[in-house]
Amino acid sequence: MSPKIGKWFVAVGMLALVVGLVSGIPQAQTPTFKVCSDIAWPPFEWVDAKGQFVGFDLDVMRIIALLKGYRVEIQNLGFDSIIPAVQAGQCDIGASGFTITDERKKIVDFSDPYWESNQAVLVHTASGLNIITAFKAGNIIGAQRGTTGADWVEQNVIKQGINVTLRLYETYPLAEQDLINRRIHAVVEDEPAAKVAVKASKGALKIAGVINTEELFGFLVQKGDPKRLLARINDGMKEMRRKGIWNNLVEAYFGVDVNLDRVAQCYGDLKGWLDKNQPEAYAENLAACMSGQAYKKP
Amino acid sequence: MNPLAPFCQTLEEGSFVRLVCDISPRLLQGTATTFQLTVLAIALGLVGGLLLALGRVYGKKPIYWLSTAYVQFVRGTPVLVQLFLIYYGLPAFEIRLDPLTAAIIGLGLNSAAYQAEYFRGAIQSIGRGQMLAARAVGLTNVQAIGYVILPQALRMVIPPWSNELIYTLKYSSVAFIIGTPELMATGQIIASSLRGPGAFRHFEVFLIVAFIYLVCVLVISKLLDLLEQRVKIPGLEMQRA
Repeated sequence: MSPKIGKWFVAVGMLALVVGLVSGIPQAQTPTFKVCSDIAWPPFEWVDAKGQFVGFDLDVMRIIALLKGYRVEIQNLGFDSIIPAVQAGQCDIGASGFTITDERKKIVDFSDPYWESNQAVLVHTASGLNIITAFKAGNIIGAQRGTTGADWVEQNVIKQGINVTLRLYETYPLAEQDLINRRIHAVVEDEPAAKVAVKASKGALKIAGVINTEELFGFLVQKGDPKRLLARINDGMKEMRRKGIWNNLVEAYFGVDVNLDRVAQCYGDLKGWLDKNQPEAYAENLAACMSGQAYKKP
Repeated sequence: MNPLAPFCQTLEEGSFVRLVCDISPRLLQGTATTFQLTVLAIALGLVGGLLLALGRVYGKKPIYWLSTAYVQFVRGTPVLVQLFLIYYGLPAFEIRLDPLTAAIIGLGLNSAAYQAEYFRGAIQSIGRGQMLAARAVGLTNVQAIGYVILPQALRMVIPPWSNELIYTLKYSSVAFIIGTPELMATGQIIASSLRGPGAFRHFEVFLIVAFIYLVCVLVISKLLDLLEQRVKIPGLEMQRA
């Protein structure tokens, strides 16, 4: 190697080192936390027609971050990978409609509950099954792996000696697809998501009945909460309720007249309010937009 | 249920050996399904691959084109996409396969394309003169292929083909995505269940799963080595490095 080339190597190496160091310096004083979610479960979280991450959980996460002065980075992860990822510190917050259970509490910490849900039993409209006959021996019941829906079938049907087959899927939309294809007899999943599935199936699916499991949803963080996130999340939720943001978000995603297909346009038009640090205006206009009323762009 | 349960209970709660003891019967059930899936898929691929290879080497124009197009399509698309087409796509034509059958067909059709290429390579490595000589002594085309070309080609193909068997065994783990209860799926279900011995112990559960795959692969390689030794014809074997 000639001395000249050697010098070039040193120069490029130094440059790389400097660039590396500079880019490593924290941009500002606002910390960023990674929020992990299985973004395939409307209305809590899903990917809209424009490829944006939307949904109730994600908006709550974004707004709490604004109120409490931190940034969030949202990552799409398989549902049953989220808890191990939080446990390993690869995700800071799990926000994916997690039911608070004793089993999960042993390995992660939960925020205050933010939602109450029951399990719905979805069947094909043409099958004529009801909530009793759906669990007849020999039937195949679908659920998503690692969910309380799957656990319910395991504990309250199979362990009770009723000989049904539990078929586990990567996501609930795949289970619903199989139900529409009539390869399985029923799907057990949380009621709000089941309602969305019924609407999306255009009459193919219906809710045969609801099981009162009275589950509470919470956001979850690493055991011991090393980054002190729970206080911020819980405070943030209280502040959202006090300022009326919470009610508007509930109205936007769970309201009677809401059409979730509108979210691509509504979220696209209105997310500027979040950039301007005005979550109240965002939530109010989102509720209006999602139910088809006039709304104000930022 | 776990037949080892009484013995497992004597082991320390929460320890790794206890976990192995608790979950291995279920994992071995999954392993059995993995084997069933692999063997049937590889058999389907063997028949399909041989026909495709013959089509590509000796086939007239339409057969040559069809078999080439098949090989290119299958090799050019991910096996996961193919499984989704078969499992979630076919019901549109009123064909509803159960997850295991769909996985066998999907992996078998996939493997056929790869095996075809191994067979084609082996067939083409037999000197052209042998085909001419076989025809000259009065064998028909089919007889020449069956009595002269294939007996040599099939021996040559064993080392590369054993790769395909190992790949198929490992690729069979993608079948978990359509709900086939094979080894990977069983591991996923155990690790992500809310209760039970393996719940939320992803690292340890998948360590055991990885170990089982490794043992299976080692056993298969050894068996194929033995097969290669047994069928070899002195003077014809490939040179070992």
